Amino acid sequence: MYYIGLVFEYLKNYMKTRLTYRADFWVEVISDLLMQASNLIFIFVVFGHTDSLGGWSESEVVFVYGFYMVPFGLFSCFVNLWNFSDRYIVKGEMDRILTRPAYNLFQIFLENIDPPGLLGSVIGILIMVVSGSQLDLDFTWWFIPVLILFTICAAMIYTGIYITLTSLSFYSDSPTGIIPLMYNIQNYGRYPVTIYNRAIQFLLTWILPFAFVGVYPASLFLGRDEMLHMAWLTPLMAVIFLTIGIVSWNVGVKKYRGAGS
Amino acid sequence: MKAIEVEHLSKTFKVQKNRDGLKGALRDLFSRQYNEVAAVNDISFSIPAGEICGYIGENGAGKSTTIKMLTGILVPTSGKLNVGGYVPHEEREKFVRNIGVVFGQRSQLWWDIGVIESFGLLRKVYGVPEHDYKKRLDELVQRLDLGELLNRPVRKLSLGQRMRCELVAALLHNPSIVFLDEPTIGLDIIVKTEIREFLKDMNRDHGTTILLTTHDLQDIEALCSRVIMLDEGRIIYDGGLDTLKSRWGQGTRVTFQFGTACPLPRLQTLTSDLPVSWTAENDLHAEVLVPGELNVSDVLARVVGQTDIAITDIKITETTTDEIVRQIYRTGSAVNGSKGEGGLTSYA
Repeated sequence: MYYIGLVFEYLKNYMKTRLTYRADFWVEVISDLLMQASNLIFIFVVFGHTDSLGGWSESEVVFVYGFYMVPFGLFSCFVNLWNFSDRYIVKGEMDRILTRPAYNLFQIFLENIDPPGLLGSVIGILIMVVSGSQLDLDFTWWFIPVLILFTICAAMIYTGIYITLTSLSFYSDSPTGIIPLMYNIQNYGRYPVTIYNRAIQFLLTWILPFAFVGVYPASLFLGRDEMLHMAWLTPLMAVIFLTIGIVSWNVGVKKYRGAGS
Repeated sequence: MKAIEVEHLSKTFKVQKNRDGLKGALRDLFSRQYNEVAAVNDISFSIPAGEICGYIGENGAGKSTTIKMLTGILVPTSGKLNVGGYVPHEEREKFVRNIGVVFGQRSQLWWDIGVIESFGLLRKVYGVPEHDYKKRLDELVQRLDLGELLNRPVRKLSLGQRMRCELVAALLHNPSIVFLDEPTIGLDIIVKTEIREFLKDMNRDHGTTILLTTHDLQDIEALCSRVIMLDEGRIIYDGGLDTLKSRWGQGTRVTFQFGTACPLPRLQTLTSDLPVSWTAENDLHAEVLVPGELNVSDVLARVVGQTDIAITDIKITETTTDEIVRQIYRTGSAVNGSKGEGGLTSYA
């Protein structure tokens, strides 16, 4: 309850700050949208040359992409660790966080909250609806609770992976280039994994499980039975990876050495 | 009741050695060498509730590292630690509800929003009930005269204004132990005085325990009954400010200006039975150092009583805390002082 209250307080403050820098806000929203649009156009271009990609039709790939956007929007709204190392380790703002009575990681999430990210989720849902109707998917009632469940699980997987990687900055003083690299790898997750070779499939399934934030859960709605068991593995992967993330974070915080005087 | 208890506390950092030149840098890339640096080295002290204790030492002596361990930010390498009934780094979230922290060099407030909004957010973070918050805020705002600043964004405040707001931010939840890391750094004398007065009142009215680090010894003189002095991670002095002065103060310096020449041997014979030491730049100017246990007037009487010595001016100067501390820093040790220079160790 205390933590939910804090989310609203920080959101309120976010709004107040953003009203001071309105132009900045719109630039961010528009550049976000353009980025999503360019990704989508890329898919259309590919399917301009072929009808099927590893057994997936254009509408199915677009549907998977739509699903991929929903948890990613949620993740980028609430979990933004891009400049963690710079801001909290090098500049020492972690000191301040650690002297406040709320879980430190949660405070960092709140301080970097970014509601425009949710716009991506909304667009993702629209894409799913449009491509779903092109595929003549039968909409059944359980789509909604399962969609919510899988969205949350997928966001947990993202969060787990990124906090594990970010906690490395407690050990090394200089910011590592690993986060940008990760953002590149995660982009593979928005296409059906079966189009890649075995090694990449393995990587995206078990090591950096970005397949679980896109194609596996989405396949459940598409009725692709060959991936059914993988789809239902999503919640388990979410629990495992979030746990790994939080444990390595907590170990990292103990190693925090502070900055400067 | 003890507010802070520290036993054999140490913190060592691994610092990587950088080899010289490009070749060295390339070698560093593959095999790193590390040095172990003890920022805090086996210190023990305890502070009773309601005390104001000053924590001083040169830059890099380990003051901030200690404060960061006491506030739960850093995990100690070894040693025991108890602050307000908690082990800080183990029960961090519960523990920090009872403490207030001000880092003079770092802001607790949100840069872009009004001061009052920051306070409101902190109220939620600390879970202070609305009623208590209002009462406490009114009290603090009135005491620190913040009235017209409350709606301004933090980035538009002057350093002095910001510092007063930082204090309020750290005290809104009415902590029983307050840590201040260089709270008066960079402030003008008026704001400094104001802040000292405020801290003193808070200590008296609420019985707040205060531990502060500073480089401004006037802070210590104005506030602290006790000082802990640190050098290279070790405590070199722990005790009252008065004791520090009487133990290491070099006594009183009396400077004479003579109208007619008065040679040094003459002065020395006048006070030959007293443990004082004379120095003279020339025959018209002499200085005598009177140790603390001796009466200055005794020495004065010997000189002034001589009718053939024409004195035009006498100046009496007490050794200031600044001088004492500078002496201790320079010699590097006060307690174990094996090779102290000057008169320092002879009094210890």
